[in-house]
Amino acid sequence: MSEIAIATQKLTRQFGALTAVDAIDLRVQAGQFFGFLGPNGAGKSTTIKMLTGLLAPTSGRMELLGLDFQAHPVEVKRQIGVVPEGMGLFERLTGIEYLRFVGRMYGLDRATTEKRTEELLEFMQLADREKTLVADYSHGMQKKLALAAAVIYGPRILFLDEPFEGVDALAAGALKTLLGRMAERGVTIFLTSHVLEIVERLCSHVAIIHQGRLVAQGSMEELRAGVGESEGEKKTLEQIFLSIVGQSGAEQSRLEELTWLT
Amino acid sequence: MADVARMPGVLEQLKLVAELRWRILKNGLRHKNSRWDLVGMVWVGIFSALMTVGLCFAFYLGAYEFLLKNRTAWLVLLYWAIFLWWQVFPIFVAGFGSNFEFAKLLRFPLSLQAFYLLGLGYGLSDFGAISSICWILSMIAGAASARVDVVPAMLVLSVLFVLVNVTLERLAGSWLEKLLAKRRTRELFLGLFVLSMVSLNFLNPALQKWGRGSTSRILQIIPYVGWLPGSLAGNAVAAAARANQHGVLLGIAGLLAWAGVSSGLLWRRFAAQYSGEEISDSPAPAVAKKRDKKQFFAEERPGFLSPQVTAVAKKEFRYLTRNGFAFLALVLPPIMVVFFSFQFGPGSALKEHAVKPALFFPGIMAYLILILLSPAYNSFAYEGKGIQTYFMAPVPFRVVLLGKNLFLASLVAFELALSLSILTWRIGWPGTPLFAATVAAGMFAVAGQLAIANWSSLSFPKKMEIGKMKGQRNSGVAVWTAFGVQIVLGGICALVLFAGQWTGNPWLPPMVFAGLTAAALGGYVSSLEAMNRLAEAKKELLIETLSR
Repeated sequence: MSEIAIATQKLTRQFGALTAVDAIDLRVQAGQFFGFLGPNGAGKSTTIKMLTGLLAPTSGRMELLGLDFQAHPVEVKRQIGVVPEGMGLFERLTGIEYLRFVGRMYGLDRATTEKRTEELLEFMQLADREKTLVADYSHGMQKKLALAAAVIYGPRILFLDEPFEGVDALAAGALKTLLGRMAERGVTIFLTSHVLEIVERLCSHVAIIHQGRLVAQGSMEELRAGVGESEGEKKTLEQIFLSIVGQSGAEQSRLEELTWLT
Repeated sequence: MADVARMPGVLEQLKLVAELRWRILKNGLRHKNSRWDLVGMVWVGIFSALMTVGLCFAFYLGAYEFLLKNRTAWLVLLYWAIFLWWQVFPIFVAGFGSNFEFAKLLRFPLSLQAFYLLGLGYGLSDFGAISSICWILSMIAGAASARVDVVPAMLVLSVLFVLVNVTLERLAGSWLEKLLAKRRTRELFLGLFVLSMVSLNFLNPALQKWGRGSTSRILQIIPYVGWLPGSLAGNAVAAAARANQHGVLLGIAGLLAWAGVSSGLLWRRFAAQYSGEEISDSPAPAVAKKRDKKQFFAEERPGFLSPQVTAVAKKEFRYLTRNGFAFLALVLPPIMVVFFSFQFGPGSALKEHAVKPALFFPGIMAYLILILLSPAYNSFAYEGKGIQTYFMAPVPFRVVLLGKNLFLASLVAFELALSLSILTWRIGWPGTPLFAATVAAGMFAVAGQLAIANWSSLSFPKKMEIGKMKGQRNSGVAVWTAFGVQIVLGGICALVLFAGQWTGNPWLPPMVFAGLTAAALGGYVSSLEAMNRLAEAKKELLIETLSR
């Protein structure tokens, strides 16, 4: 049986009276390409923040690569890479300086840091802008830099919050290939995206969170079976998502009110 | 097909934009995050109103007196004062905040004429313009009380003067907006502004030295500025008072020419904006640079600091060099040391009241530490979203604090060494015991403050943005903490220094300070673990406050 990369037990986070994440039990196998979906405000980013140490849980446990996060934060952080919601970049460093900084912070020696920095800048098509301040990068370039920083030290788990948002089609294609190869090599990739086609194409397993609760979890086939797939018809992830989250009917009735537009 | 609404007229558009500005102003008050901000705004409002009303009386009296006593040539000064205020004040406040960007209105279907009129309307609704118009009206009232026959000419000239001012100010404002839209120019502007403010300190010594004869030189220049709007308006009113129709017509023609040229140029600027001119920062053209491969495979040099501490210290250095305002804060203290030594040192204008070297050295040291350590009380101010990188990295937070503190301490040491060298050059050698006491006191003050400054930075973070001045200050608690700690440490230092004088043992203060420094360093090191825990507890506050 393969190793469990991410396991949470009753993971909960409250903000005052609001329960943003409500006792979720996630299980992600090592090497899985895992999609974490949910409507806006469902609790996706809050969950990623907790799993990456940016936010403390109100209650519950989380283990990454068999290590209790709260007990061994430094050991866990050493093995995970993150592209957080706001990207978390130092905007007054240049691209090359930021990657060097991250490499050194994760304990890479100088030569390895330099070599990987150069290679990643080339791969992300940022080499010609390596001396431009991050503040002067476009949104897509910042995203690519954040991705480069998340992988420079070779993490075993990669958390990506909307990694393709604002990234051009060429770079997105290269990134998908890179992520696919990382997954093949055993890296666990935990990804959130609102573009369900991307998730469907990349991810082998998916979990759906809605109003803070985990409402579905499993492989694509298991999810299809869960929503009662009819014979001969293969439901898309979008159809599965809408049927689980249950918004399609409401959307239709709201649309009917806009007679002046439609 | 969707319905298409009819286009509103120009007047309706003007009304809508006026309403928009009012709502932005009103809603801006909602976001004042503390009562003190609101109190500050009320104070500024009261002060501005008092200043405007007070000067209304001054302008009224000025016009009244000059016309009544037939000193009409002096009227030029009043118009010049208004002209300078109207043109210079908006430039001074331009770099201090993010006002509503006028050009954003272009996303709406406005005609160029409406856009131009809106631009003028914006110009007339600024504080500088409103106060200037109040003063012009006061002058007309003063003229009406003294010489009613001057009023018709004055009314015509004032309308033209207002038109010239508003178009010139909008023209300058539009160019300034174009320049300040770029980050680098904005920072340069801010730096120049601070330097110009500091240079005012040197006016007094400069005037003492070279001031004689400057008045006559200024008087020699005045005839050459007669073609400028302030002089044109003032001279034309003076001509009206002397019933010199030719002079009045000349003034009107001059102002009309100014109004025509500035309106034409302003129309061109607005037309450029209207046609979609891009003024904000755009990415630099991509130029592939070949790098020296050797640097990528440089040998790892062993150092006494861990790579993580070095990485943080390096990052701090890079941030400092890219933060014009913080960089200036470091350049200024040595400049101020030179200034103080000129102003109060031996051989200064004060002579008999000059400060003794025995007080000068510790005094300057205290001043430098006060200035240089203030940012340490909010040391994450400029991190922005980058703060998340610190919390994601596999290092205890004490490493981050250590890197930041070591960098600051090195910087303070460099600044102090530089300033003490300047002082020795300007004032003379104060004697080895006093010099040693000053240096040891400095070390104690720095070590003693860093632990508390770290606590303040973690507990009361406040986001600041590079290249802005408006709202760029530490939180109230951090300010008071810094103030309290510096008073206590300053008090201890003063006590120890005076103890040396009372006992007649000049080596007592250095010895006491050495002991205090050792104790402070011990306290600092033992505080790091507690700060590590505090950082974990305050993680969410820091991320939320700084990533906003």
